Amino acid sequence: MPSFASVEILQQALVFLIGATALGFVLTPILTAILYKYKILRNAEYDPAMQGEKSAKAGTPIMGGLLVIIVVTAITIVFNWDRRYTYVPIGAMAFSALLGAADDLLNVFGGRRRLRNIKHALILIRVHKKWYMKIWHIITLPWTAFREATTMFGSKQNRGIQVHEKLFLQFVAGAVTAWWVYAKLGASWQTLWIPFDGSVYVGWLIIPIIIFFVMFTANAVNIADGLDGLVGGSLIITFMALGILSWIEGRTAFAPFNMTVVGALIAYTYFNIKPARFQMGDVGSLGLGTLLAINTIAINKTLLLPLLGFIFYVEIFSVILQVLFRRLLGRRLFKMAPLHHHFEMIGWSEEKIVMRFWIIQAFVVIVAVWIALR
Amino acid sequence: MLSPNAEKIIDQYFNLPFPGVDGVRCPYFNNSRKRSRGQLRALVGKGSPKEIVEEAKIISTQYHLGIFENDCSVCKQNLTADDLRKFMIDHDLGIECSGFVSQVLRAHFRETKNIDFTTKLRIYPPAKFFRYIISILRPIENISVRVLADDRNSSVVGLKDVVAGDIITMLETQPTKQRNHVLLIRNIEDNIIDYVHARAWSGDGKYGHGVTAGNIEIIYPKDGLLEQKWTENGQSDNKNETYLEAKRAKVLQIRRLKI
Repeated sequence: MPSFASVEILQQALVFLIGATALGFVLTPILTAILYKYKILRNAEYDPAMQGEKSAKAGTPIMGGLLVIIVVTAITIVFNWDRRYTYVPIGAMAFSALLGAADDLLNVFGGRRRLRNIKHALILIRVHKKWYMKIWHIITLPWTAFREATTMFGSKQNRGIQVHEKLFLQFVAGAVTAWWVYAKLGASWQTLWIPFDGSVYVGWLIIPIIIFFVMFTANAVNIADGLDGLVGGSLIITFMALGILSWIEGRTAFAPFNMTVVGALIAYTYFNIKPARFQMGDVGSLGLGTLLAINTIAINKTLLLPLLGFIFYVEIFSVILQVLFRRLLGRRLFKMAPLHHHFEMIGWSEEKIVMRFWIIQAFVVIVAVWIALR
Repeated sequence: MLSPNAEKIIDQYFNLPFPGVDGVRCPYFNNSRKRSRGQLRALVGKGSPKEIVEEAKIISTQYHLGIFENDCSVCKQNLTADDLRKFMIDHDLGIECSGFVSQVLRAHFRETKNIDFTTKLRIYPPAKFFRYIISILRPIENISVRVLADDRNSSVVGLKDVVAGDIITMLETQPTKQRNHVLLIRNIEDNIIDYVHARAWSGDGKYGHGVTAGNIEIIYPKDGLLEQKWTENGQSDNKNETYLEAKRAKVLQIRRLKI
């Protein structure tokens, strides 16, 4: 239920939005020049999604999401730094963005990685000449098994940060957030808001719930980032809704914070619309996915995340279902996953997919806001 | 004769439904060498014609190989059936013998008896719990020649009793490798058994193999299969590699599924 809504908070939040947009537009040419200078460009060679007219995207700078991360971090640190409320979301976002940046850079500049499978590790344990290497392989065996298990859920990569490494680091980001919510924000955050039904006290169980949502949402946004403008436009809608909810609930730190993200995303999306001047990259999608989860958790609307991030959740579920169908039934549910590739395969233009996804996202987010205000 | 739908499936294997290109005969692919696990049916030699074509489209799109126009509605203009076959073989797309027989018989029994025969076969016993569950979820992928030739799933029939829909099973056709083969009887008319199967002859080379038709002329009704005249691709007797394989098989039988 709305608790307090002052015009001053809204005015302040809108100033943050306008300021972030302006700063975003100012920084874009600088960022683009840097990305071109250091040749941080999309490489068609390693990108299975590049086909037909999409191959024209080869050579487009990636890591454009850095714009949003820099603008949000800078404005928040300078004008909205609140040790209780904003430093952990910024920290977790920066940590995830760093992970994404490392992945982006390794994908561009890194060589192929030699990864041993579990069979190979078992052989090494048996036959290696050096005893300490045998012990090392025994110690790292569960890690190798974990890596092998994660390859079942996606295509095998041999460049960049591997899925199991990403999951581990995202777990760390989720755990830090969970610790912050559980230990720092107070007992009221140990209750889980239930739509239409008040809230329920969950105590320490809030920790795994938060870790799950942070990891899941970060990956969902990451997976959805496949078409020009899709993630940027959808996130504008989502963070706008978070900003409005924060304002209605009188959360003086989060209303400006969310509006800052909206402002930065406006500048980013302006340049990301087809034909994109730059693309988000993992630096943006992982960072903003983490931030989306944390900011929703922070205003205690955790269970609304599947609606607030509807398109992202649909995209990640399309991948999960595709893998399940493939492994269990031996056939495809979609022509290709994530879902936007399916629509591309059946002949929809990129613009048509993106705009329809925006419309759907906007509608579902409106429903989410309505539920939140009930 | 097999049912019209089964005949349609066979025709589709001989002429895969690629949009804009006719006469693409489905190549042979056996997963035993590649050993893919938990893969799509079409990628382990067990797919239906539609699944195989769909997978070809997806592979072409995913790896930007330029086989289809951008929306995959039609193949590129100057492509021939041979180009497409080469593309499929290079990307491990095709059908193997038991997969082919299973797909055709599934259509046949659905139409004639309104049942999915793959669910009636005993593939793995419940005691092998994991494999049993997998075989329920993915029956076609788990139906091998051994399964079709199992006494619990099929029974031996004599040459004079053979009907369309029966199968000719060849077990252990090579001394060193566990290699089996199966042919599907398509039609019997005037003492001639028409069969279809998926296989690769040594003379086919890298790109010549695939779904093939042949016949067995019953010259000596009282004798066994090997005493009859086998003809395939215009070759008879020892030049016919299917016949040679039948000769080498430790067990050669005509069987009828217990449906």
